[in-house]
Amino acid sequence: MNGHVKSMCCPRFMELATSKFLFVAVSSNQQCGNLQPTLKLTRLVQKESVDLIKTYKAAQGEMSELFCKVPINNVPDPNISGLESSERIASIYTNLQAFLAHLKRVYEQQLDLQLPTSTLLSKLHQFSTFSGNLAGRVSGLYQTLFPNLPVPEPAGPTTLPPPQNVFQQKVYGCVVLKIYKEFLSNVLQELRTVKSQVCRRAELNAPFF
Amino acid sequence: MSTGALQLLLLACFTSPFIAGNHLLTAPHPNVLEIGTNFTASCMIINTTEVTSDDLYWIASETTVPKEQYTKVNNTTLNVTIQVSGENSEEWLFCRSRKVSNYVELHEADFVHAILLRKAYSPMKPENLSCIALLKEDKIAATVTCSWNTVGRQINKYPTMYTLHFKIHWMDINYNVKTNETSATVSMDVFPFYMEVHIWVEAHNILGVVQSDVLKHNADSFVKLPPVDVMILSESSFPTTLLLNWSRPIAKQYSAVITYEIRYCQSGANTWTDVPTADIREDIESFRIQDLVPDTVYVIQLRCKKKNDYGYWSDWSTNATQRTLEDRTFYDDTNRFNIVCDSVCQGCFCLPHPRDPLSTNGKILRFDVSIQEHKDKAMIPGSKLELSVPVNRSDDSTTRRPVTALKEILLKDKTAVRVLVFAINSVGKSPRASLIIPEKELNITPGVLPRVESMRAWPDDGKLWVEWKAPNDHHVTEYVVEWVTGDVIDWQRENRNTTKTFIKGDLQKFVRYTVSVYPLHNDWPGSSASVQAYLEEGAPLQGPSVRLKGKPGRSEAELVWSIPQSSLQGFIRTYIISYTSGMVPSNTTTYTLTSLIGNTKYDVWVTATTTVGSTEGNTPGEIEWIVVGVSFAFLFVVIMTVLLCTYKKDMIKRNFWPEIPNPGESTIGNWSPDYSLRAEAPKENCLSGISVLDVDACDEKCVFEEDKPGLPLKKDKYLSEEHSSGIGGSSCMSSPRQSVSDSDEGGDIADTTASTVQYSSVVASSGYKGQTPNFQPQPSQTVFLRSESTQPLLDSEENPDLSQEGSRQSQCFLRHAAGNRNSFNQLLETEQPEDLENLDFCPLEEDTQQLSSEDQVTEHCSASGPPSSYTPQLGGYRPQ
Repeated sequence: MNGHVKSMCCPRFMELATSKFLFVAVSSNQQCGNLQPTLKLTRLVQKESVDLIKTYKAAQGEMSELFCKVPINNVPDPNISGLESSERIASIYTNLQAFLAHLKRVYEQQLDLQLPTSTLLSKLHQFSTFSGNLAGRVSGLYQTLFPNLPVPEPAGPTTLPPPQNVFQQKVYGCVVLKIYKEFLSNVLQELRTVKSQVCRRAELNAPFF
Repeated sequence: MSTGALQLLLLACFTSPFIAGNHLLTAPHPNVLEIGTNFTASCMIINTTEVTSDDLYWIASETTVPKEQYTKVNNTTLNVTIQVSGENSEEWLFCRSRKVSNYVELHEADFVHAILLRKAYSPMKPENLSCIALLKEDKIAATVTCSWNTVGRQINKYPTMYTLHFKIHWMDINYNVKTNETSATVSMDVFPFYMEVHIWVEAHNILGVVQSDVLKHNADSFVKLPPVDVMILSESSFPTTLLLNWSRPIAKQYSAVITYEIRYCQSGANTWTDVPTADIREDIESFRIQDLVPDTVYVIQLRCKKKNDYGYWSDWSTNATQRTLEDRTFYDDTNRFNIVCDSVCQGCFCLPHPRDPLSTNGKILRFDVSIQEHKDKAMIPGSKLELSVPVNRSDDSTTRRPVTALKEILLKDKTAVRVLVFAINSVGKSPRASLIIPEKELNITPGVLPRVESMRAWPDDGKLWVEWKAPNDHHVTEYVVEWVTGDVIDWQRENRNTTKTFIKGDLQKFVRYTVSVYPLHNDWPGSSASVQAYLEEGAPLQGPSVRLKGKPGRSEAELVWSIPQSSLQGFIRTYIISYTSGMVPSNTTTYTLTSLIGNTKYDVWVTATTTVGSTEGNTPGEIEWIVVGVSFAFLFVVIMTVLLCTYKKDMIKRNFWPEIPNPGESTIGNWSPDYSLRAEAPKENCLSGISVLDVDACDEKCVFEEDKPGLPLKKDKYLSEEHSSGIGGSSCMSSPRQSVSDSDEGGDIADTTASTVQYSSVVASSGYKGQTPNFQPQPSQTVFLRSESTQPLLDSEENPDLSQEGSRQSQCFLRHAAGNRNSFNQLLETEQPEDLENLDFCPLEEDTQQLSSEDQVTEHCSASGPPSSYTPQLGGYRPQ
């Protein structure tokens, strides 16, 4: 599915990204400057996801540990697709957009399951906001790294699960959070890799700027 | 008014409403004008030829606009250009016609048109935009407060409004807050960590919009993080360090890197010591402060900031206070003690004074002292004394290094003494400090080393400097500079090469210090050289108190003054005596005023002057120069006497040198021994001018008032109550005042007897002294009047042949202008010179009064027939 998403969402972007990758070296100082807060924000969201899962499990009642182990479809792949950096960053961005839609659905479901004063709700809302900010950051990073490439956009609306019963909702929410956390770990790793490339290049090219 | 004109007026009135509108039209009519700009308006004439543009004029602010600002476009249009100014938000600009005609007068309202000028200031660009986000509990509040400065002015009717824009970059999120203040707060759902935000302010009013510079930073740069849970701990085995612990103000994922600043100071100190920033790593939560003084209270503060260029340092944390642990006192020869021998020894004792070291490293509990006698300089050991001196010192004695007097050491002849001192605190025993008292000190003879030469001390730049020359041909290992004021003693040590230094102790201004320099050879002290000095001199706190030394002379007086040592505040350079602006050397405290004018009161001040200033004596020394009007009175009496002698020459001649009948012209019939003389005796007696009256006959109110001018020189009682009590002329009849000798003033006598001396009034026993060779003093005729007075006893009073001791019988001594010369001379022989002067103080008017009274009293005496004090010569010369 992930490969499908990648190939379907932005084939043109892939071509441009490969051909224009050399531009990265042109403004590596600025890129490195943008990369650092993106990396920190990813770390923040990832850490928040750990706390959120704990809170989520605590809010779901008994058998909450089992919820997260149930396999479920229609959840984005936590892996990052693509070979080049541009592809992989574009993959991060599109996956983030997809997860945002799922997080929104989970929040809506939990609104019916939790009391309005529930900590889970506020944390879910904050978490969604952080995730949205992260998507914006990644988008900005992409534009900084690849200014001549168009901003990657999903090919179509994210597929969300059909209406579910309470048990399914609880399972669904936990799986989304768990996979999202896994995805964030991958993003963190990917950004570290990009950082090592871009910021090292920035240091090497520093005398030329 | 003619009938035709009236008709025309009526016609105009009836027809004017039907004329089509105004004849003047102005343009443009702007909404608002910016103050300070130029505005051009036009006035057009329409539907009439009655006036032309030359007849038009403009009025603004009730003032006609000068023609220089007009521009004639054509015959029907006139432009004007004005500068929009003033504080009124609205104002009318009128266009009028000045032409006077019937038509214009009749249609005056049609020849006016105006433009309403609405004025405002353009909004100015807001400056100094800054934003801050505060920590709320353990997270950053989702609010950002921004503030800015306004520039320019605004009119209340058209105020400037501001819109704060807060845009999260890369996101389509833009928060706007409108306000008329200069700050606004943006509230968000979640604080945008690590998101770049763009913040700017728009100022807008009716004239337009202007935007501030855009602030572009990561949102977390605006966060102000206070340090939390700051604690300070002392660590065992580390008496010179304190461990500072704190917590991160926010979880690490929210704020990656935080930098810190630490400062500390001793409790009570005013200046902070900053820990070098390079020594403080980022993102730490503890720090060990080193190189502190043991057993000292420190105050430590901490602040933090996110690591980036933009952002805020937090406020300093509240004081974290902790005392370092005690350490062993570092007390050795560098803190060696002083020995006060010169002032305390008295030839046989010395008193060592160890001073606490700069760092006692704890509370000194006691001093262990070892006193070892040595026979000579080779230090052959003799007897040894060990003792322990407990120290009970309060904690507040932190301003000065305390000095402890140990034990007076009995010094034997030809014996040197080595004193060893150890300071003991709770941790342990300090290294030793030692000093040797050489044997020559025992006899107060010059020490092993001679004293330094050319020593001097002077203040400069807030320090008291000391300079000296080393003793020649002597090896000095170090010097001790000692300063003493009152009972406060302190000192410092200088190395052997030092010949100039400043005193490092806590010296007080305006306090006199005795500064001494001791040379030391190893532990052997030499003799000291001393000078006195001030760190800073000031004018004396009070002026000298002046008093008169002895009695003032006729034209001179000797003054004595003094100032307490504590009030000097400096070395007295001169004393200024104000009466002649004369100055005297500072070592003088007495002065004799000369060339004074008699009978003049002088107020005398003495001003003490240091190099800094001077102070007058608070209480002026008053010298009442009563150089009595004696001179004048005496002169007056002499003149009167001469005049009387001149005019009464015959009477005087008849009294003192009576005519002696020529026996050759006498007849036997007239030389009869039975010739009665009694009838003429009283007259002869009164004519003599010298009468001795019995006190009974004269009443006890008889007093001796002889010299009113001399009153001020008498005792106070005499001055205040005007009691007469002197030798000399009396006026028993004339003076109503009572003498202190009067017996009816028992109370006064009782009051004054204890402090007074009896004196006597002497009355001549004969008016013909020298003419009565067989004169024998008769007790009943020579009477002393004894009274309570400060006057000394007269010689005659002590002569039993001439006086009656203890007699209370008073005697009136009638002074007669023409007849008291002999009595006066006789008084001169018996009185002291001062009393003699007093005799001259008898005022003329008193005499005048007495003259009339004396006649009465004389008559009274004659009538009562008191016995005469001498045998009058009646009827001429009696054969000798």
